[in-house]
This record gives sequence, structure tokens and C-alpha cells, in this order.
Amino acid sequence: MESVTRMEDDEAIARSLDGDLSAYEVLVARYSVLAHRTAALLGARDEAEDVVQEAFVKAFRHLGSFRRGSEFRPWLLRIVANETHNLTRARGRRSDLVLRLRESVDAPAADDPEGSAVATDRRARLLEAVRALPDRERRAVICRYFLQLSEAETAEVLGWPVGTVKSRTHRGLARLREEAGHELG
Amino acid sequence: MSSDDRFDDLEAELRALAGSLDVPEPPPAERVAASVRARLEAPAPRRRRVRWRVVAVAVVALVAVTAATPQGRQAVTAILRYAGIELRLGGEAPEPVRTTASVPGEREVPAGQVAGQVAFPVRTLGALGEPERVTVGDGGRLVSMFWPDGLRFDQFSGRIEPFFFKRLGPPFPDEVDLGEVHGYWLSGEHPLGYILREGGGEVPLRQAGPTLIWQVGDVGYRLEGAPSMERAAELARSLR
Repeated sequence: MESVTRMEDDEAIARSLDGDLSAYEVLVARYSVLAHRTAALLGARDEAEDVVQEAFVKAFRHLGSFRRGSEFRPWLLRIVANETHNLTRARGRRSDLVLRLRESVDAPAADDPEGSAVATDRRARLLEAVRALPDRERRAVICRYFLQLSEAETAEVLGWPVGTVKSRTHRGLARLREEAGHELG
Repeated sequence: MSSDDRFDDLEAELRALAGSLDVPEPPPAERVAASVRARLEAPAPRRRRVRWRVVAVAVVALVAVTAATPQGRQAVTAILRYAGIELRLGGEAPEPVRTTASVPGEREVPAGQVAGQVAFPVRTLGALGEPERVTVGDGGRLVSMFWPDGLRFDQFSGRIEPFFFKRLGPPFPDEVDLGEVHGYWLSGEHPLGYILREGGGEVPLRQAGPTLIWQVGDVGYRLEGAPSMERAAELARSLR
């Protein structure tokens, strides 16, 4: 399945390079939701839509530098991450503030209201600890667990060596356990 | 997948937390695709914005703007602005202009009355003697002098915004030493047009012959119809 997807991406990229905008629209449609979530969680939040559009336009213009045969997804997300970084820096905004829990994460289960309340409280504390992480460790954690990217993808998206992703993720996890309490895991 | 087995539970909990995050609703994928496509299909206004921004910062200097875009071969690959003239360079010879039009508001003026009707000091080419006729165009922003054998000498305020545009294919302009200044020699016939002061509209004028362009101070000059670059340079040096 994965290799089929890659082939399709590859063909869409080849046609896009020939100026076929319909082929590029396929790529945009395929990755826009993930790109949006990436921009939002890395700090763009309500401006994620603008960031994503800008990133896709830039990606098209730089498609010539894409290494054919490699994965399009992390290459694109790196542009999204860079655009987001530029935006938050230009706004002087703290990118950690975008991390929030949904209001009605889950209404207390009728049969176990107390247990639900405990779970919600635990999630809130864990997220608070993620927000308090040093910027780089937090970005590693967001990519690895909130966007569920692999270590290799995270490395490409954040522009770090894989070893750095491993060490920053590890330090982040250690800190989370420290800060959010041992009962977390 | 785990970077460390000791963190398995914590990792699982973080992955579960991802589903509880408050993330703005993404716009429909088709809408994003359509918006991106619309932006990629609209290269012309983007190029125009670049053009005026560059004009604003480069008053006299020769500037080059690469306007090539990967999504399609644009007819214009670079724009040079010099002496109030915008040179639009392309990869191949442009279609010739087959019609002839005048600069807006162009009218003949007795030689002795020109000075009072334009905003810059009017000069002439001493080596050519009295012109056959003189015209003033576009509300006094342009003066043209004509001599026999198709020699035409235009002068205009060369500050900030271009007055003329020329479309060129190879060969590109040659730099010419005119003593204190440098000019550019356009050796072939080329389409010539005029850029209106108001609104920036463009008026195609005619197919121009070989032309020398140069600038002294704030005034731009173009001399059309000289038989060779050497002769054009000689005439240009007689500016007085």
C-alpha cells in the first residue's frame, strides 16, 4: 500500500514538474489536512490555513530541488514547518500556547464520572508539561507523538540529524515523566 | 519504535493525547487545492508587483529582475530598466509590431517654443544640426526631434518610472562607452511601446530600428535610426 502511494506521488510530482497543475492539485488535496495540523500544532494555529497555502505555493516553485524517489510528505512538511517558524518568529509569538485540549474532550462517562475526571486531569497535566518543555524538545515530541511522524521523517521536517531527534525526544520524555508525575507511565 | 522501552507507556499516552488536542478545523482539501492553483496560475500580477517595487528602490541603476517561473516558460525572462526604458528580454525574438501609433498627446511644436513646455532642460545633438521637426508628447514629459533618414532622438525624464518598453530577443544590448556615461546599443529591430503615466497602461507604438539608449542626470535619451553603433555613439557624444 505504501509503495503504491509513493508511486502515485512520484507520478504527480513528475507531471507537476512539467507544469501540470491538475497533478499538483492532487498532491495538495492529499496532504492539506496533515499540513494544516502540522502548521497549527507547531505554532501557526489560526493562521495555519495561510501558512499551508504559502507552503504549497513555495513547494511547487521549489519542486525542482525535490530529490526524486524520496518521500514527498516529509519534504513538504519541512516547508510547512519553516513557514510556521517564520510566522511565529515574525509575530514574536510563543508557539507553545497553541497546545490546548479540546473543551469537551469527553463528557464524563455516565457509569464512571470520577474515572473520566481523573483521566481528563491527567491529560491536562501531561499537556501542560509538554508546553513547558524547552522549544526543541517540544518540537520533537509534537512531531513524533502528536503528528505521529517517524524518527526519520521528524529529522527531515525539523532539519536535524536522526541522532539529534532521538536524543531530544528522549530528553523530552524524561522531562515529561519528571514534571508530570510518575503515575503517568 | 520506542526510543527507550522505559517510556513505552508515556509514549502511548502522548499518542492518545494527540486525539484530544484542540486543533482548528482544516479547510476542505479541494478548497486548498483550488486556492493554491489559483495563485500558481496568476504569474502576471506578481511580476508586476515585483517590477514596481524594484523601480522604487533602483532609480538610476540598471537592474535585472528574473521573471522566469518554473511552471511555464514566460516570454520575458528578465527585465532591465535604464534611462526611463524598460527592456523586456526574452528567449526568442518577439513578434514584430506591424502597426504604428503615436505617443499620447504628441504634437508638433516650433523649435523655439519647446523649452517652455517641458519640465526638464531640453538638449539636442550638436552633430546633427537643426532638427527637421520637434514634437512634445504626454503632457510635456517627452520631447522628440527628427532628422532626415529616419533619425529620431527622444528625451524624457528618466527618473523612477519607465516611459518606454522594448521587447528584445537575443542578441541582448551591448554596453557603449559615451565618455562620462555608458549607454546601451540595441542592434536589431524591436517592438517599442509607451507606458502611460496615469495608471501604467501600455501603448504599443511601432517596430523600432536599432537604438542607442543612455542617461545623463535625470534625463533619459534614445536615439533611433543611426546606421551603426559607432555612429550612434558619435552622435550621442555631441549632446549639448
